[in-house]
Amino acid sequence: MSFEYFNTILMPMLEGAQMTVLLFLIAILVSIPLGFLLTLMARSSIRPVAWLAQIYIYVMRGTPLLLQLLFICFGLPMLPVIGEYLVMDRFVAACLGFILNYAAYFAEIFRGGLLAIDKGQYEAAQVLGLNKWQTMTRVILPQMFRVALPAVSNESVTLVKDTALLYAVAVPELLHYAQTAVNRDFTIMPFLFAGIIYLLITLFLTILFKWLEKRFKFQ
Amino acid sequence: MSIIEVSNLKKSYEKLDVLKGITFNVNKNDVVAVVGPSGSGKSTMLRSLVHLEEISGGSIRVSGEDLVKDGVYSKPQEIKRITSKMGMVFQHFNLFPHLTVKENLELAPRMARKEENSVIQRRSTELLEKIGLTDKATAYPANLSGGQKQRVAIARALMMGPEILLFDEPTSALDPELTGEVLQVMKKLAEDQMTMIVVTHEMGFAKEVANRAIFMDNGEIIETGHPDELFTNPKFERTRSFLIRSLK
Ligand SMILES: Nc1ncnc2c1ncn2[C@@H]1O[C@H](COP(=O)(O)OP(=O)(O)OP(=O)(O)O)[C@@H](O)[C@H]1O
Ligand SMILES: [Mg+2]
Repeated sequence: MSFEYFNTILMPMLEGAQMTVLLFLIAILVSIPLGFLLTLMARSSIRPVAWLAQIYIYVMRGTPLLLQLLFICFGLPMLPVIGEYLVMDRFVAACLGFILNYAAYFAEIFRGGLLAIDKGQYEAAQVLGLNKWQTMTRVILPQMFRVALPAVSNESVTLVKDTALLYAVAVPELLHYAQTAVNRDFTIMPFLFAGIIYLLITLFLTILFKWLEKRFKFQ
Repeated sequence: MSIIEVSNLKKSYEKLDVLKGITFNVNKNDVVAVVGPSGSGKSTMLRSLVHLEEISGGSIRVSGEDLVKDGVYSKPQEIKRITSKMGMVFQHFNLFPHLTVKENLELAPRMARKEENSVIQRRSTELLEKIGLTDKATAYPANLSGGQKQRVAIARALMMGPEILLFDEPTSALDPELTGEVLQVMKKLAEDQMTMIVVTHEMGFAKEVANRAIFMDNGEIIETGHPDELFTNPKFERTRSFLIRSLK
């Protein structure tokens, strides 16, 4: 295998990897806050708000992400009357799908984090005169994020791998270029490269989250 | 002068009457020991005072102000102001695990009181010295022994300058060899004229430090008196049998 060939397949693949990373970053940066908002909504004392959030979480976790992506990319534009306004750029549509889906998973993770916090923490805060907002932001949330960290780490590695679903809605990403090169040149090298690139991304994430876990060990 | 006046305090969970009309006063500089069998309502009574429990009837006055009168609570901001005169120390410490010892002490004054930084720092330094944990200022609770945690919890409550301190079995979660250091701190507080209500199983401590003991059973105050009197010469059979059981 010549250096030149190496270059000709690697360049487009790295370009595809950019798309993968971009989707990952957008999805994670938006779905984490959105997921947290969902957690709060699901615990709301206003019943309809809580129900809405819970149903949303149930639907998003109970159906395949691929189905949701296809629905947003190809299904929405087919709706009568409003459909024509719902045609989006494929990548934008895919981002939306990932955000909506992952927000539900993060909401579940944060819910678990909140449940893990002893009610004595709320009581101590109350007796010390902290108000609800101060209790939430200074006492509960820092502990919740700490508890949720390993699960968030897990979920973000899954997200990296899920970006390959872009393939199904024909957004050219890492896997797409690998597949094209394999078909064209009858070599499996591109698949190996793709695998290595995914591994490098997840390795970076794993190290980052390990560092965060250590940094926020509170010991 | 009465700093706490409780009259006919009632609390029930659905059908279960946990407190059946409790009446007692606490005077300034009193150290009151509350004893009684498990489930008699000691914690519920203490928690009602700081509004961790909503009571079903009766009145609670704190230094002359109504927290709740004949079952009707004051306005929320009044409740907040009145309960802030009391500090509470829990059986399981309830320290904030994500904050260092010093941060645990300083969070509430900073947030709830918005006091000046230098004032807060001076007081936390002072209190850490008082509980003998100056060298643990930057440690996290996870790295402290149970006895150290409880001493920090006491200092944290003192940071808010309470007029009265409530303790709910402050040594029950500790290994026996660690209870001494906590009782020592409490004894010091008593010597400094701190008003305290202490739910405890430590009869020795109650006898030595308290000037009044209250015996509760089944949601009622059965008997109250000087600890020497109540523990050695109880008037009621129920008190006597409890004492015999708990001395075993
Ligand atoms: N949230 C609750 N719901 C229902 N019942 C409760 C609740 N909290 C306490 N109780 C009941 O109230 C009664 C008094 O409880 P409390 O904790 O005040 O007793 P205690 O004297 O502090 O006991 P211990 O010595 O075991 O701490 C018990 O029968 C308990 O089961
Ligand atoms: Mg109790």
